[in-house]
Amino acid sequence: MTEAANPYLPTPRRITRATQDLADVFTFDLDVADGGGFAFAPGQFNMLYLHGVGEVAISVSGDPGDPSTLTHTIRAVGTVTRPMQKLRVGDWLGVRGPYGTPWPLDKAVGRDLVIVAGGLGLAPLRPLIVQALARREQFGRVVVLIGARSPADLLFMQDVATWRGRFDVQLDAIVDRADRSWRGPVGVVTRLVEDADFDGPNATAFVCGPEAMMRFVGRALVGRNLTPGDVWLSMERSMKCGVGLCGHCQWGPTFVCKEGPVYSFDRAARLLATREI
Amino acid sequence: MEDLERSLKGHPFLRDFLPDQVKFVVSCATNVRYAAGDYLQREGDDEHALFLVRHGVVTIESHEAGRSVVFETLGPGDVLGVSWLTRARDKAHADCRVRESTLCFRLDGDCLKAKMDSDPALGYAITTRLLERTYARLARARLQHLDVYR
Repeated sequence: MTEAANPYLPTPRRITRATQDLADVFTFDLDVADGGGFAFAPGQFNMLYLHGVGEVAISVSGDPGDPSTLTHTIRAVGTVTRPMQKLRVGDWLGVRGPYGTPWPLDKAVGRDLVIVAGGLGLAPLRPLIVQALARREQFGRVVVLIGARSPADLLFMQDVATWRGRFDVQLDAIVDRADRSWRGPVGVVTRLVEDADFDGPNATAFVCGPEAMMRFVGRALVGRNLTPGDVWLSMERSMKCGVGLCGHCQWGPTFVCKEGPVYSFDRAARLLATREI
Repeated sequence: MEDLERSLKGHPFLRDFLPDQVKFVVSCATNVRYAAGDYLQREGDDEHALFLVRHGVVTIESHEAGRSVVFETLGPGDVLGVSWLTRARDKAHADCRVRESTLCFRLDGDCLKAKMDSDPALGYAITTRLLERTYARLARARLQHLDVYR
């Protein structure tokens, strides 16, 4: 009889690369080469532990095809992530996971694939985009729509330029406000959903961003004749245990860490419309 | 005139109008082309026309402390200019600046309003479509106001 592993015990991982993406957003690559690498599915998250400070749930933002590196993109916004931003290459982070339900990319096979990201929501969608492009021939149109507060808040610009440069991807980025130096569209991301070229009834959509944005984007996608069951959202709640025991991440009758973070819009729409949960 | 009528019919704003209704408004319409940097109208101008954008990009802008702020970009299929229809006839409250060479139909407001007064069915059709567009823009402005990415 073997002793079960303690699910709350983080594994120490060394930071091999630290990138400052935006003033308050940073990316760490963690060394996971030992033990055969770190397998995850796009959309899943890890609990990252900053020694002596605390744990936070952060989605994996790296390439699922490269298990030798684990990548997380993090906004410095709370008591754990602010001091986490000060870590440098060679420092350690505790990692446990991966947890949660992944993006169900297989449900989009043979259909148009619509990916809508708002702000930092591009981070959990990045592994999905990478995986979808590695399997590009399995999908119809691939449409990536990105919304941000301003041009200076757009994430992963190098990736965005690469994806935009492909002839088999339609990519559009829109910002809420800009000055004249920005040459792209200005407005809300729902505008891109209204105008993009895809076949609604034959499309599957994956959406991640602030909750209000997902509420409006979900409706806009349904307005383009996607069925709510073909629209998938990634929810964010304060998570503690990550394994569906503590109840911190309860969202209506569900625990986001276990039954989410990825939900279909037909399941999420009622909860999104319910205030104060 | 027939070509203008045919191309007017192709604009999303007028696409489901009856053929007689399009024929009736065609005499109010002119085809106009603007170069990058031109203004369809500037803040404080009288609004005399309804513009139906056919081609290009127009930015809705304002300025503060010498700095231009873009609120929204409009493109093919969009419309702008509503004040000519209202009793108050407010002045334009934003700059409409051409970012890329733009082609529009310009429908003269006084001409259009006279036709809408003489043909209530046409007046209803134009008013409801303008209201739909205005409501959609208001919804977008509200979402922008939420500043969800902050």
